[in-house]
Amino acid sequence: MNRRLIFLSSATILAIAATGTLAKIHLVNASRVSTVSSAPSSSGSSTVSSPEANIAAASTIPVTGPVAAAPPAQKSTANAASRPAKSASSSSAAQATITVDGVKDIDPEKAFGNKNAAVVMETFTDFQCPACKQLYTTTVQRVTDNYVDTNKVYIVHRDFPLPMHAYSRIAASYSRAAAHIGKCDVVEQALFQNQEKWEMNGDVKGTVAAALSAADMKKVQALVDSGALEPLIDRDKQIGQAIPVNQTPTTIIHTRDGQSYPVVGYVSYDVLKTLLDQLVK
Amino acid sequence: MQSAPFNYRRLFIWLGRIVIAAVFIFAGLAKLIRWDMHPRPPIGIATSLFALQIDSYQMLRPWAVLQLARWLPSAEIGVGLLLLIGWRLRIWSTLVTLIIGGFFVAVVRAYTLHLDINCGCFAKPEPLTGMTVLRDGSLFLLAVLMTVFAFQEARKPHPWSAPAPAQPS
Repeated sequence: MNRRLIFLSSATILAIAATGTLAKIHLVNASRVSTVSSAPSSSGSSTVSSPEANIAAASTIPVTGPVAAAPPAQKSTANAASRPAKSASSSSAAQATITVDGVKDIDPEKAFGNKNAAVVMETFTDFQCPACKQLYTTTVQRVTDNYVDTNKVYIVHRDFPLPMHAYSRIAASYSRAAAHIGKCDVVEQALFQNQEKWEMNGDVKGTVAAALSAADMKKVQALVDSGALEPLIDRDKQIGQAIPVNQTPTTIIHTRDGQSYPVVGYVSYDVLKTLLDQLVK
Repeated sequence: MQSAPFNYRRLFIWLGRIVIAAVFIFAGLAKLIRWDMHPRPPIGIATSLFALQIDSYQMLRPWAVLQLARWLPSAEIGVGLLLLIGWRLRIWSTLVTLIIGGFFVAVVRAYTLHLDINCGCFAKPEPLTGMTVLRDGSLFLLAVLMTVFAFQEARKPHPWSAPAPAQPS
């Protein structure tokens, strides 16, 4: 009886190991031919499946870019109302990206805090991704209040609209346009907090309009219609794909000594705080 | 002195001890040392990074995540060494089985909920896939068998320590 049990157990372990090996081979082969997965994720976080996706959801990311001369300091505050409204220029605005601590191609209108902060925190989000909403409305808001506003962290909002989400690209366009008239926070907050509504009916424009004054909405609409800021969204996406970001939200924390720490998926503020506290020392 | 007879149960116990101890010691060191990163972060930062990985499972409250991140890597190394030594095997193999069972439950839950997270098993970012579930399942089965057989073998006297048969006078 015992011997039979032992044989059965060994056979089961061998079978599991063999299945595992076969599954690995299958996954590797599948990853070679897949491009972008359109399977939605019920958990909320969203995934891009690509050949690179299986390689490194995030190994150490070398920061090789030169540190550019810092442009004039940007006001550090989470309160959009306190930010001066910026004129809605066209393609010249799209070209005006900056580099901070080796983090390249930052749209200064979507980045907040002190450029000389000890930590640069890059967040890749998709407006239609529930985990991004959770990250934005809880963790990012508190990080902004406690670290960005106190000049400890420079936060960069990167757009990473996933093809599987029908309205995330247009939401990113409105958000980017709003950022270029100094209303980034107001519109990002409106889009994330009303995510369930506009993802059902696609009324991104209505959601943004409800958060802005008529005059501001006119400026935002003009920017969206001109398409002048689309290259910035494309650039964010290219940067994400090069890392590679393979799901949203993904946060990459860069320190001044050139180290980068990727954080994949939603993370609670209290846990992130322990890391930030050590890095900003 | 006679050698121990060939016994499948002993084979499983040895296999389990070596494999699981190696996996545990490697996993614990990987979490503390982070040799996948250049330059290597200090242990405090490595622990915080591991806490972020635990947190992504969304199973525990932040204080529990932080405590687990602080103690789990050292516990893995300690239990792995104790398994290798073989002292109080039944106690440590039971503990290891419970730990691996916990990992297995967490991984299966994350997989079935389609949580797109990193496993965090060996600190290095590694997407949680069906392969991870199979790997943890195999380890769990091995740990269960090792523990069951360790208890069964303990009931019998060890052949090396068994009293010699009485010589006819």
